[in-house]
Amino acid sequence: MNAAVDNIYLPKLAVLDRVVDEIHEVRTFYWHFEDAEEQRKFRRFRPGQFAQVSLFGTGEFPASLPPSPTEDETFFTVKRVGSCSAALHALRPGDKFAVRGPYGNGFPMEDYRGQNLVFVAGGIGLIPLRSCIIYALAHRDQYRRIQVFYGAKSPRDLMYLPNLREWEQGAGVEFYPTVDRGDADWKGNVGVVGSLFKKPGVEVPVADTVAFVCGPPVMFRFVIKDLQALGFTDRQIVSTLERYMKCGVGKCGHCCIGMAYVCVDGPVFTCEQIKQLGEDI
Amino acid sequence: MRTRILARVDVLQVVDLLRQQGYEVIAPFAGRGRDTFFDTVTNANRADIQIHLPNPYYPPKRYVLPHIERLLKVQRMNGGWQIEPTVAAPKRAIFGLRSCDVAGIWHLDRFYLGRDFRDSYYEQRRQNLFLVNVVCTDTERDISDDCFCVCADTGPAARDHFDLQLMDLDDGEFMAVAGTPAGEALFASPIFRKGTAAHVERRHAVLSEVRKRFKTTTSWFSATVRYVSQGRILDKTWEEIGNRCLECGGCTYVCPACTCFTVSDRQVGPDEIERVRIWDACALSGFTRMAGGHNPRRAVHDRRNRRFFRKLAHYFIQRELSVACMGCGRCAAVCHGDIGMPSVVEMIRRATAAEDKLEPVKP
Ligand code: SF4
Ligand code: SF4
Ligand code: FES
Repeated sequence: MNAAVDNIYLPKLAVLDRVVDEIHEVRTFYWHFEDAEEQRKFRRFRPGQFAQVSLFGTGEFPASLPPSPTEDETFFTVKRVGSCSAALHALRPGDKFAVRGPYGNGFPMEDYRGQNLVFVAGGIGLIPLRSCIIYALAHRDQYRRIQVFYGAKSPRDLMYLPNLREWEQGAGVEFYPTVDRGDADWKGNVGVVGSLFKKPGVEVPVADTVAFVCGPPVMFRFVIKDLQALGFTDRQIVSTLERYMKCGVGKCGHCCIGMAYVCVDGPVFTCEQIKQLGEDI
Repeated sequence: MRTRILARVDVLQVVDLLRQQGYEVIAPFAGRGRDTFFDTVTNANRADIQIHLPNPYYPPKRYVLPHIERLLKVQRMNGGWQIEPTVAAPKRAIFGLRSCDVAGIWHLDRFYLGRDFRDSYYEQRRQNLFLVNVVCTDTERDISDDCFCVCADTGPAARDHFDLQLMDLDDGEFMAVAGTPAGEALFASPIFRKGTAAHVERRHAVLSEVRKRFKTTTSWFSATVRYVSQGRILDKTWEEIGNRCLECGGCTYVCPACTCFTVSDRQVGPDEIERVRIWDACALSGFTRMAGGHNPRRAVHDRRNRRFFRKLAHYFIQRELSVACMGCGRCAAVCHGDIGMPSVVEMIRRATAAEDKLEPVKP
C-alpha cells in the first residue's frame, strides 16, 4: 500500500467572484480556486461531470457543471432546495467556500463525432446540458446537425438568456424553445417540450443521432416515449441521473441505484443502461 | 504457509509480544451474560482476555472504519478557511479476530482501496493494523446457532488475509500459522516450536468435528444469488421481507461487510468546524432522500430489498470478488423482525420454490 495517496475527501478553497440571478430561486455562481494550479487541473473536466461543493458548517452537495471546458470561467448554477444550496445562495462575492472534483463519467462527446446531436431540456435540466451544447458548438465541425429543444414553465423560467439569444440567432444550432404557459410578450411556442418534435417545420434526425434528455422525472418519461415514437432506440438516448450524494467517489453508498454507484458509474447513462439498473429511478 | 506450535499457557504471550513491539492490542473480553466486546489490552485487564467466546456484536470493522471519524478540521481564518485533514493511524493489532471478521476486513479492503478511488483514511488505519485470527473451535462458546461462515466460505478457519492465525488443538496446544512476513517474524520468540505431522492431522480432525456444529446452513445461498441477480424474486416476497423491517438500522451497524456512511459538519467552536463521517444504514428512510424532498426509495421494502441486492447481486460479487456477507450471523442475532441474512435466504427459497415458474409440469 502506498502511503502518499491523495485525500479524496479534501476540498480545495474557492472564491466566489460574482452571482447572476437566472430564474426564481436559481442563481449562477462564478468562482475560481484560490490556488491557480488547482484551477488549471479542474478545468480539464468533461461535459456532464459534477463537483462536490462545501459550505463549511452546513455540508457538501453535488452540483453539475454547466460550463464547457472550452470556456474560461468556472461556475455552478444552483437552485435553492436544501440547506447547502441555501448556504451557497447566502454567499457574497469575495466569500470563500470549497470545491472538490470533477467527478463522474461525463458525456463521451468524442464518441459522438460525426453524429447529429439533439438536446432536450426541461426546466433546470438545461444546467448539465448547457455544458455539452457549448462544447459541441465550440467543436462545430465535428458534429452534424445540432438541435436544442428547451421547455420551461413560463417565459420567466427561461435560464441562460444570453446563450438562448445566441442560439436563437442560429449560431450553428437549431433552437426550439417552448413554455407551458405564455404571457403577453411571448410569441414562441406554448406546450410541452415533446410537442415540438411534430411541429411543422421541425424535423428531428433519427439516424446517426444522439438525444440528450435532462429534466424533471415526468418530462423525462414523456420525452422518452416521444423520442421512441420517432424511432430512437434506448441506446441513442443519454441522460444524467440525480441522486443524494455524500462522497462523490463511490464509497458512501448513498447514490447507489440498482447496480450502479451513480457518482462513479454515472451520472451519465444511456436509456438502455438505466433500464438495466434493476431499480426504479 | 509456515506453522508453529505453542502451549496453551503461552497463547497470551502473543499479546505481550505485540505490545512490546509498540502495538495497541485490541482483544475480546466477556461482559455480563452473552455480552462480549473488543477493548484495548492494558496491564490490568490482560489476564481477562478471552480466547473462546461468542463473537462481539459490535464488529471490529470500527478499527478501520470508526463509527464516527473526523475527516477534516476547518477553522475560520481572516475571511477564509483553513482546512486540516485529520491523520490518525494508530499502530494496532487485533487479537482474537474471528475468521468471518478477517474476511470482512478483506472485503472492506477491496471496497475502500479498490476501484476508481482509494480512501486514504481507511488506508492509513489499515496499513498499521496487525490481525491475529483465532479459529472458532469451541462448539459451545465460539459458535452460535446463527453462525454460517461454512456457507459463506469464510470459516471456521480463515485461509488467508490474517497476519497470524491461532488454532486450539484441544490438547493443551495451539497451532500458529503465519499469513504474512510480519506474522512469521513473531516465530523468533522461544514460545513457538516446530510442529509434527501429527499436529497437522490434529488440525484437520478438529476442523472436521467443528464443521458438524453449524446449525444455520443457508444452503440456498448460491441459488439466491442467481435469483437476486436475475430479478426473479417476486415483489410480494420483497414486500413480505420489508414488512418485517422496523428500520432500526441494526443489521448494517453490526455487519462487518457493510460500507455505507454519511458525512456531516458539526460546529465544535465559535470558528471551528469538524467534518465527520458516520456509519449509515440503507434501512433508514432518509438514506436516499434528496434535497427538496424527493425520495426514490420510498417504501420500506425498497430499502430492505436494497440491502440484500447490494450484498448478493452477481454484479457486485464480480466487482468485489465475494458476496458482501461473511456469514457472521450478527444480523440474524440482532434483527427484531427476524430478517437477518439466513432468514431472508430461507424466505426467498420457500417463495421461489412455491412459485417455480420453470417447473415443466404445470398443474
Ligand atoms: S435489524 Fe432488522 S429491523 Fe433492524 S433495520 Fe435491519 S432488517 Fe430492519
Ligand atoms: S449480512 Fe449478516 S451474516 Fe452477513 S456478514 Fe453482514 S451481519 Fe454477518
Ligand atoms: S455519492 Fe457516495 S457512493 Fe456515490
